[in-house]
Amino acid sequence: MSDLSGGGAVDHRHVVAEYIRLERREVPPPPGVEGPSAIAGRAPVDAHLRNAAGGLRTGALLTGIDSLGGLLCGLAVQPEWIVTTSMMVTVAHLAHTGPLGLLGRIVRRGRTSVVASLDVVDEGRDRGPVASATVTCAVLDPGDMRLHFDRPLVIPMGPPAADPLGPEEFFAIAPGTGPVTRLDLVDRLRNPWGILHGGAVAVLADVAACRAVDATRGRPRPPVAAADTVLHYLRPARVGPVEARCTVLGGGSGRTLVRVAVHDVGADQRLVALGSVVVADIRPPAAVDKSRLIRLT
Amino acid sequence: MALDGYPSASNFLADLGMEAEVTTETSARVRIPVTAEVVGADGGVRAGVLATLVDVVGGSAALRAVLPDWMATADLTVQTVRPAAGPLVEARADVVRRGRTTLVVEASVVDVPGGNGPMAGDPADPADPVVAWATMTFAVLPSRTGLPMRDVSTALPVRWSLAGAGLAGPVAESLGVVVDDGPAGRVSLPVHRYLHNSFGAVQGGVMALVAEVAALETLGAARGEPMVATGLQVAYLALGRIGPIVSRTRVLDPGTAGVGGSVVVEMVDRGADDRVTTVVNVAAAPLVPAAVGAGR
Repeated sequence: MSDLSGGGAVDHRHVVAEYIRLERREVPPPPGVEGPSAIAGRAPVDAHLRNAAGGLRTGALLTGIDSLGGLLCGLAVQPEWIVTTSMMVTVAHLAHTGPLGLLGRIVRRGRTSVVASLDVVDEGRDRGPVASATVTCAVLDPGDMRLHFDRPLVIPMGPPAADPLGPEEFFAIAPGTGPVTRLDLVDRLRNPWGILHGGAVAVLADVAACRAVDATRGRPRPPVAAADTVLHYLRPARVGPVEARCTVLGGGSGRTLVRVAVHDVGADQRLVALGSVVVADIRPPAAVDKSRLIRLT
Repeated sequence: MALDGYPSASNFLADLGMEAEVTTETSARVRIPVTAEVVGADGGVRAGVLATLVDVVGGSAALRAVLPDWMATADLTVQTVRPAAGPLVEARADVVRRGRTTLVVEASVVDVPGGNGPMAGDPADPADPVVAWATMTFAVLPSRTGLPMRDVSTALPVRWSLAGAGLAGPVAESLGVVVDDGPAGRVSLPVHRYLHNSFGAVQGGVMALVAEVAALETLGAARGEPMVATGLQVAYLALGRIGPIVSRTRVLDPGTAGVGGSVVVEMVDRGADDRVTTVVNVAAAPLVPAAVGAGR
């Protein structure tokens, strides 16, 4: 576990990614081949991060996708740097054995933006597909804050925490129910630019959307989990607290679409992110028909 | 619309029967009639047609915010919550952020159950039922002299309509989509003026619609039952100018009985060295009322 006190030598490049114990490994192009590096990642499915279906919670999954995709895009534009502007994630399965393997590649390098495509597989289930994502980043002039990396970059998986915090506690999400969920913008959730980490926004959206759907249900309430998610990072959240305000738009067949608007309350209620989350009812596991499994290579 | 001569009366958008209103400097609405040619297996408007509607309304809402520069759609998402049965379906868009290099638009798509008259006498009713929700990112392109721009009126609201001849058949057939190998999700599309956007390339909504066809072909074949697309996540990487545009399809999850699945479709410009122009993640559900989202 990283230093959570806010004091000491906290490396803000990695605190949120280390919470999910994300291993990151740059994959340079083969000798003689021009082009940007790819990136590989690996994350365990730790008990405190499991959803109601037994897999990695989607907020944590999106944290890994944001961290890995952002790092990939950043390496592609060095010495400039990037900020994530949008993330589109399709979640194929919510139940995972783990660890999860992630592989990202650059699919577009423009003058002002970079686009990465990432696939997530379950190494514990014959590398079956878990999710497919697109991460778009805007290219920034880092000014005086030059980020240095030893290349090819390797950041190993951290050891399991002896007494890990749950995601609501780590991400400083206030207990509650209903359509509005609040996050306290503590220092460990800030990225190197001093703003709220994109992964924290994703976790907040996950928790808030599930609470919003839960509040519309009678009892007994079926367990739910966030699935397909779209997030647009519109402006930096610097002040806090940060609120996710949800509108349940409807749905059926065990799927509910939720609009999520994220506001920086301390910055004149500024809208900082906007997106949607499909919240899925978790059904009892059915027998797996292995003939229908498709291997993702 | 601010490009002189675009879209023409012989464009695909005209045959959808679009009617539009730019309501404020940063908001717009666009509607089409729900006809047999644009609906899917559930009787609601196909997600790819909704993507076309959303792309146009987003551009209309963003136009005045971006001038004198121009813009191109960078990404687009549509998530449905129930079938859009009409008789009209309307997308209502607002710009939520105008940055230096990008612009983000949100749109809700509603059924207009009682709508049958001109837009001018039919103001947006907030009680109209939401059938889908959408977002778009537009890349801001510096102004250049090559584009034949038309003066944009500052007096709002501005209304326009496109009255084409109507679609000759189901929308995919009208576009010229050919299913080369349904179970493999391989479809192709010749590039022609009927499908052009303002850059002379395949319109973004058309790309989404072709990907939807590819995804439903492969999922339907795998499952032996008709499917309906409930979500599209579209990343536009390059223009599709030459053609034919062909799909490369990868099933993420075929789903199980009663539960949907998801597919990744890459749209490749065969005439441009197999350049990947568009990546579309398609979520689909079997035919049940009011389905949404991908299967797990």
